[in-house]
Amino acid sequence: MRTLAVAEATLREIARRRSVLVLLLVIPLAFYLARRGTEWWQGLRFMVMGVGWAMSTAALFAGNGARAIEPRLRISGYAARHLWLGQLLALWTVGAAVSVPYWVLVRVDLPQVRSGAMALILALTVLIAAPFGLGISALLPRELEGMLVLLTVLAMQTVLAPEARAGQALPFWFAREIGVYAVESDAGADHLTKGLTHAAVAAVILLAAVAVLSGLRLRRRRHLRLSAA
Amino acid sequence: MTAEEWLGRLTTELHRRGVAPDAVVAEAAHHLRESGQAPERVFGPPAAYAAAVAESLLGPGVEPPGWVRPAAAGEEPGVEPPGAVRLEARGITKRYAHRTVLDGVDLTVRAGEVVAVVGANGCGKSTLLRICAGLTSPDAGEVHVRGRLGYCPQEGGTVERLTPDEHFVLIGAGRGTDRATARRQGRTAAAVLDWPGVDRSPVAGKLSGGTRQKLNLIMSGLGDPDVLLLDEPYQGFDKGSYLDFWQQVWRWRTERKAVVVVTHLLSELNRVDNVLELGR
Repeated sequence: MRTLAVAEATLREIARRRSVLVLLLVIPLAFYLARRGTEWWQGLRFMVMGVGWAMSTAALFAGNGARAIEPRLRISGYAARHLWLGQLLALWTVGAAVSVPYWVLVRVDLPQVRSGAMALILALTVLIAAPFGLGISALLPRELEGMLVLLTVLAMQTVLAPEARAGQALPFWFAREIGVYAVESDAGADHLTKGLTHAAVAAVILLAAVAVLSGLRLRRRRHLRLSAA
Repeated sequence: MTAEEWLGRLTTELHRRGVAPDAVVAEAAHHLRESGQAPERVFGPPAAYAAAVAESLLGPGVEPPGWVRPAAAGEEPGVEPPGAVRLEARGITKRYAHRTVLDGVDLTVRAGEVVAVVGANGCGKSTLLRICAGLTSPDAGEVHVRGRLGYCPQEGGTVERLTPDEHFVLIGAGRGTDRATARRQGRTAAAVLDWPGVDRSPVAGKLSGGTRQKLNLIMSGLGDPDVLLLDEPYQGFDKGSYLDFWQQVWRWRTERKAVVVVTHLLSELNRVDNVLELGR
């Protein structure tokens, strides 16, 4: 119940950031259209990066927006896990709402793309972008600094060669691997396996980072002893 | 101001001055209906009219109950003395860089007691409260709280894009209270602080500083906490709300809660049972 209460409050908070919602919907579309021409597969990649960037940014804002009230929520009976899990639930819900139209767009506009693989890429992007943005907000509480870090990571993910070690260490590398499987009809399932493995590792690391950072920041201090009245 | 709003304000002002409002308000309403004139034209501002009514009924120079602290144990017969210890802080020490802000501070607050923490700017009043709330670690010392905590920070503590009702529901869920009950408790507390129409209020970011601080204060009291830690909670309050705030503090005292109020206003010290002065 507590996790759902936080999820509901986070959803309301995000829903009232009208400009952020518009950007969430428009940025991936702009990226997609920018490369939709002859290099349509690049358009797909850019669109996925757009979804990742938009969702990470929404998560960064949600994390920062909740920062002022989280200590008093801890005092009011919430555990740290209720707070970050509730935020993630809300962000994943928003991410699903943003992704579905793009999945439909690709299915209609590029019927040669494997739609199952495309759904997987979008789902994993949303799954990973939310803890990624929350993690950055926990480390860098100022929005401008957080935005710059997100921008840098996403830009590097886009420009680095897929075989580069640095690129593989970044959280959205899986999208490129599964993307190969999605757009090349003769691509083997090994791309899918590599992508899924990378996404699973990235998700586990980021979720653990969010849990640890949130738990540390909102931990019950050792000097305080609470007992019943 | 409509006649209805004016009469509502008059009711609040009469309450503050210890005058039963029903007969006075009914008479004023009747007069306004008969004359058809604007209430401020006929009676003037509600506060001034209430003050005049109170003086004529109670006599000149009589302090209304909103201005004075109710009697404590020992001052009048029949007043229950403070009960069990609810908050106990021992040897609290806190240093920032090379500056010692708190040095072995002790604080004990019992059920049914109001304690003020006073001192100059930067002497560690807010830090002590944050340590008592478990939000900041001290370098030495420990705190024992018996019962549930409620905490009102000096600023912040709300979400810009949530309405007051949504704040009540959020805090209520943490306390295990259902939505309807949390809303009702929040609205009732808002009415006590002279904040009508809280259910129609905009999101917290659009509230005035004083109203936002009322929201902060109301949130700290939701869920029936046993210990209330209030860090200068009246910032931005107008005079009437400020009086309502102290009435609320005394009501909490009557309900046997332990209340700690951080303040820098020495004129408030006659409103509390004990004072802890920091930085001496």
